[in-house]
Amino acid sequence: MKFDTVIMGGGLSGLTCGIALAKAGQRVALVSAGQSSLHFASGSFDLMGYDAQGAPVSNPPEAIKALPEQHPYKKVGDIAALAEQAQQLLLEAGIGTTGTATANHNRLTPLGAFKPTWLTTEGYVTIDGDKLPWTKVALMNIIGYLDFPTKFIADGLRNAGADVEIKPITLPELNEARKSPTEMRATNIAKVLGNQEVVTRLAAEINAKAGDAQVVLLPAVLGIKDDKLAQLLKQQITKPLHFVATIPPSVPGTRMQALLRKRFEALGGMFLNGDKVVAGTIAGDKLHNVTTEKLEGTKLVADNFVMATGSFMSRGLVSDYKKVYEPILGVDVDYIAERPQWTQNDVFDAQPYMEFGVRTDNQLRVAKDGTTLANVYAVGQILSGNNKLKLCNGEGLDMLTALAVANTIKK
Amino acid sequence: MEPKIKEYDVIVIGGGITGAGTARDCSMRGLKTLLVERLDFSYGATGRNHGLLHSGARYAVTDKESATECIQENMILRKIARHCVEETDGFFITLPEDDLAYQRTFVDACHAAGIRADIIDPEEAKRLEPSVNPTLTGAVRIPDASIDPFRLTMANIYDAQLHGAETLTYHEVTDIIINQNRVEGVRCLDHITGQTKEFRAKVTINAAGIWGALIAQKAGVTVNMFPARGALLIFGHRVNHMVINRCRKPANADILVPDDTVCVIGTTSDRVPMDTVDDMRVTPEEVEVLLREGEKLAPALASTRILRAYAGVRPLVAADNDPSGRSISRGIVCLDHETRDGLAGFITITGGKMMTYRLMAEDATNMACGKLGVDKKSETASTPLPGSEPDAPKPAKKTVAFKAAEGRHGTLTTAFSLTTDIVDDALVCECEHVSVGEVNFAINNLNVHNLVNLRRRTRVGMGTCQGELCAARAAGVMCRQHEDAANVKTDLAAFINERWKGAQPVAWGDNMAEAQLTATIYEGLCGLNQYARKEEVQ
Amino acid sequence: MENEMQLLNISEYNFEQCLKCSICTVYCPVSGVNPLYPGPKQAGPDGERYRLKDPKFFNEQLKMCLNCKRCEVACPSGVNVGDIIQKARMKYASHKPKLRDQMLANTDLVGSMATIVAPVANFFTSLGVSKEILHSVMKIDKHRTFPAYASQKFETWFKRNAQSKQDKYAKHVSFFHGCYVNYNFPQLGKDLVKIMNACGYGVHLLENEKCCGTALIANGLYDQARSQGESNMSSMRSAISKGRTIVTTSSTCTFTMRDEYHHLLDVDNHDVRDHITLATRFLWQLIDEGKLKLAFRPDFKMRVAYHTACHMERMGWVVYSTQLLRMIPGLELTMLESMCCGISGTYGFKAENYETSQKIGAPLFAAIDALKPDCVSTDCETCKWQIEMSTSVKVLNPISIIADALDVEKTIELNKNH
Repeated sequence: MKFDTVIMGGGLSGLTCGIALAKAGQRVALVSAGQSSLHFASGSFDLMGYDAQGAPVSNPPEAIKALPEQHPYKKVGDIAALAEQAQQLLLEAGIGTTGTATANHNRLTPLGAFKPTWLTTEGYVTIDGDKLPWTKVALMNIIGYLDFPTKFIADGLRNAGADVEIKPITLPELNEARKSPTEMRATNIAKVLGNQEVVTRLAAEINAKAGDAQVVLLPAVLGIKDDKLAQLLKQQITKPLHFVATIPPSVPGTRMQALLRKRFEALGGMFLNGDKVVAGTIAGDKLHNVTTEKLEGTKLVADNFVMATGSFMSRGLVSDYKKVYEPILGVDVDYIAERPQWTQNDVFDAQPYMEFGVRTDNQLRVAKDGTTLANVYAVGQILSGNNKLKLCNGEGLDMLTALAVANTIKK
Repeated sequence: MEPKIKEYDVIVIGGGITGAGTARDCSMRGLKTLLVERLDFSYGATGRNHGLLHSGARYAVTDKESATECIQENMILRKIARHCVEETDGFFITLPEDDLAYQRTFVDACHAAGIRADIIDPEEAKRLEPSVNPTLTGAVRIPDASIDPFRLTMANIYDAQLHGAETLTYHEVTDIIINQNRVEGVRCLDHITGQTKEFRAKVTINAAGIWGALIAQKAGVTVNMFPARGALLIFGHRVNHMVINRCRKPANADILVPDDTVCVIGTTSDRVPMDTVDDMRVTPEEVEVLLREGEKLAPALASTRILRAYAGVRPLVAADNDPSGRSISRGIVCLDHETRDGLAGFITITGGKMMTYRLMAEDATNMACGKLGVDKKSETASTPLPGSEPDAPKPAKKTVAFKAAEGRHGTLTTAFSLTTDIVDDALVCECEHVSVGEVNFAINNLNVHNLVNLRRRTRVGMGTCQGELCAARAAGVMCRQHEDAANVKTDLAAFINERWKGAQPVAWGDNMAEAQLTATIYEGLCGLNQYARKEEVQ
Repeated sequence: MENEMQLLNISEYNFEQCLKCSICTVYCPVSGVNPLYPGPKQAGPDGERYRLKDPKFFNEQLKMCLNCKRCEVACPSGVNVGDIIQKARMKYASHKPKLRDQMLANTDLVGSMATIVAPVANFFTSLGVSKEILHSVMKIDKHRTFPAYASQKFETWFKRNAQSKQDKYAKHVSFFHGCYVNYNFPQLGKDLVKIMNACGYGVHLLENEKCCGTALIANGLYDQARSQGESNMSSMRSAISKGRTIVTTSSTCTFTMRDEYHHLLDVDNHDVRDHITLATRFLWQLIDEGKLKLAFRPDFKMRVAYHTACHMERMGWVVYSTQLLRMIPGLELTMLESMCCGISGTYGFKAENYETSQKIGAPLFAAIDALKPDCVSTDCETCKWQIEMSTSVKVLNPISIIADALDVEKTIELNKNH
């Protein structure tokens, strides 16, 4: 099979790159080995929340200037312009967001902490600065749902100046779902609440419990495919309604994954779900084709290839007792040779392994045995030199490096 | 403000298995008893060993007295602590590089100590325990079993409480109160409130394990302890169903024990200075030794996921200068400091091992009773621990979670499993099948102050993911009972760090992927790092 | 390190590669609609650890698993969750298959009997009274319409009408038709013969085709499944030795023989696996290699919605069928979102599963009814029953659509020189 570009990895970075290229008229195949880390998403997109010293960042493009030269952000060009392009891409996929690259706002986490972020899905709690716009909040949770620790969230809201009342809610369908000791998770609740009739009764339940609160906050358990039901619920609730992120699996993340894939396919992209690239044929300084586990004999031939397979947790990088490597093509990886130095004793200290990843040149092209591969790019978390936890920049890095590479390939 | 001073017959210092057993025995004999523990129950060596119910065979050749004590206590614990014991039996295997002649010496010594020891055909051994190294040249079957030290300790504590004993965790003894060569009590720092408290008793029993040397120091007497550190590795699931030992002189990593859902290989043995006994982080060198030697017992370990590494310090009383610490007698040392040092009202119980904790407790309690003029015999050898009563009604629940909980709490499971509220059946920890009901039971009944305590009582966070999602759920349930949510968040951060401590030495392969996912959830998604403090939770 | 001991800390026990991320539960069609099912993570890797400790931790509710394998497709860590669950059922389940399950499972036996008396069988299975009996006595749900039995088996038709013409072709394939083509829908087999012959391939039956066994596995008849598997492998080896590829028109039969034989039944298929392929894949690969051209009727017009069957998704072969359909100039193809239709072979036929089955499929049915295509196309026959019963839309195998759209004369002409 012949394509203009083959992308390995179907998460945020791979899909962003695929959508940008397909929109430009390219024939793109995307090979996705299992579902992505979007399923752990908050509903927000972080561009750069903290600087290298851990101080909160208000203007990411400015703060990025101070990053070291080898940081992947230094290889993508105009941060603000790419950020705008990313927001537009999300919108076209059906993911409406608020926020702007040059002024971070704060998102509310499932434990009631606030973190600086760039874009937030419409309908989710955001806060400018450290004070909430409301003084009286009804924080609702579904009885028996354990992945939404209301007391933690209430603690965060109170610190931000709100008076919080915690209100348990339920419906007969949810009582039924509760019979499962393990499957009362956000995404399964979203399935139970997955039709208009149930949502209408949910609205009645919420209205009955809202009391004199100015605003109702609900765990993000609605809208696993799109946000139509969330909109419907909003229309039927007498007070403003906002969602708060939950412990994974994430409903907004699952929805984003579905919407981005749908957008990619609508643009003519070919999404090979549940397959993975197992080998490639390199000739000279170019990758000629790749083979997948499922298509066996059918080689995917392309002009350009993009590696968007993620870090250790997504299996884009693998470590063993002695080394760290990239398992598909065996491209060059930046890491510390001595294993005891991969980690720090305190789990919340900057862990050196977080910055391990594939080595790239200024155009984000990978190298093998020291030679740059002219048509193989890396995007997202597989890149070396970034600690997404400390800089709080996971989604930004995914999308901006993906768009930068798409722009390079389009040229 | 001067706190009220309380009076007791006996103060037991130390909440390990020896202290817990002593508190139980004292309270069962009608003594007004207080137990104080610096950190949590079974924090020290009690919670950091193999979880092996020794048959005594390991000591038969070198230390007959210990071996005899072991097999006697082994048989007693099978009865009184039924729910903490799994009757697996075990093998001592001979490998090609070992001397098969040693097997005869070993079996004779076992028989002399009263330990059943049957030489069986290597083929039969492979059939009974398919994971065993198939190159074995000999096998002896002995009555080893697995025992859960956390449960055993808590069952003793719980029973002591039922008999009127008071138990205080996170109470560190700062001073021994001495008046005219008589110990009259202890001064404690309450680590939770920061208060200093005084407790008075006619007799004070030092059962503080390796830290007993420091307690003795505070009383102005000397007990020379020999700190021998041992590291162990936990594997992700049960590879073996019977205990596997090497049939040779005790050495590194020669015991593999099936414990609940996992199996444990250990130990190393290294002499360490007294001032390092609180540093339990396992080194890369220890990991390497354990892996290399462990594979020889059961080759499948080479391809089984390692969950974590941990280390403990054996509280042995120094006797000679053996650098390995292995030829030391494991006999019980019960010191009457009145006759030994002229210090009245003070007893040190040490030496011994987890297996003989009950006997140690009986010795110490006998001595205390002697001083108090109480004439009552110990009944601990015949009275089942709570959870192990033979005639308790069997509840009808057949769920996997119920069966798992029954394995942990025995007959006490009925206390929380017969609820009609299905919210209580929801699982907090999916790997280990720990329900909301079980967590609440532990919080309400088993002295739980933090998530690490909860883990020791229930296995929350002890499974494959080491707390990746369940820790947040457990913290949420904890929080329902605590008004101060911010403190519970700090506790959650500490718990994640405590789990990392054991995962870090083996953080490669799947474990590194798991570690990154856990960090992504707690730091990236949740911002838990904002609540983290630098000190370790214990 | 010595012996490369634990070099990887990547367990050979597949279940230990589970990172407990819970993504599989998002894509399990059952756990969202039936709270009594423990879900793939619990039933699979979590439960396996406990079952290894003690078989008493086996949970009979594992039978609620559809074996759709969507958990495996979703898993980012390559854990074969579905296999773990099915193997646990094989190893620990204590309940013997009921008569009903044996009947449903023996698709070829029941099929042969029914075909002999097809008009009668069809009459009775559609009659209200007998449906009530099936429901109450056999626990086969009364809402179900049994797939109609054809009056003439495919094999009979083939032997009478086609077999003698096959040797004249220069190239040859063997056709594993499966129970559905043989007993219920011979037309699909005829369509395949038509296409293959037009492409210059002679079609042959296997020496002794047995049901692939997927329904036997689902209903706990493992020994029978294994022996049928061995028999099929032996027949196929004989065909392969003649240089023939084995083509099929059913994604589930293909998946079963390629993957489940080895993973679940320990049937050695290593030398056969790569020779078994779906007909659409066979054709597409020939076209891709430039060895085949297809010509289509200019007047063919059809709006088709493609439904991705679960085992098609697991095999990762959707691309072949859809790329082939896209070659038909008059065909407008819409991809339905990939999700389980709920039937899962014989699962949905059981009265106790009917409600779950329909709940699982509901979003798919709604999407199809909203789209109103001329037909739905899918590579799985049981999806066809379910969708036809639950929507007003006809369902066709891609092969039938291609056969309909094919310009036979022109195709023969185009491939003369190959």
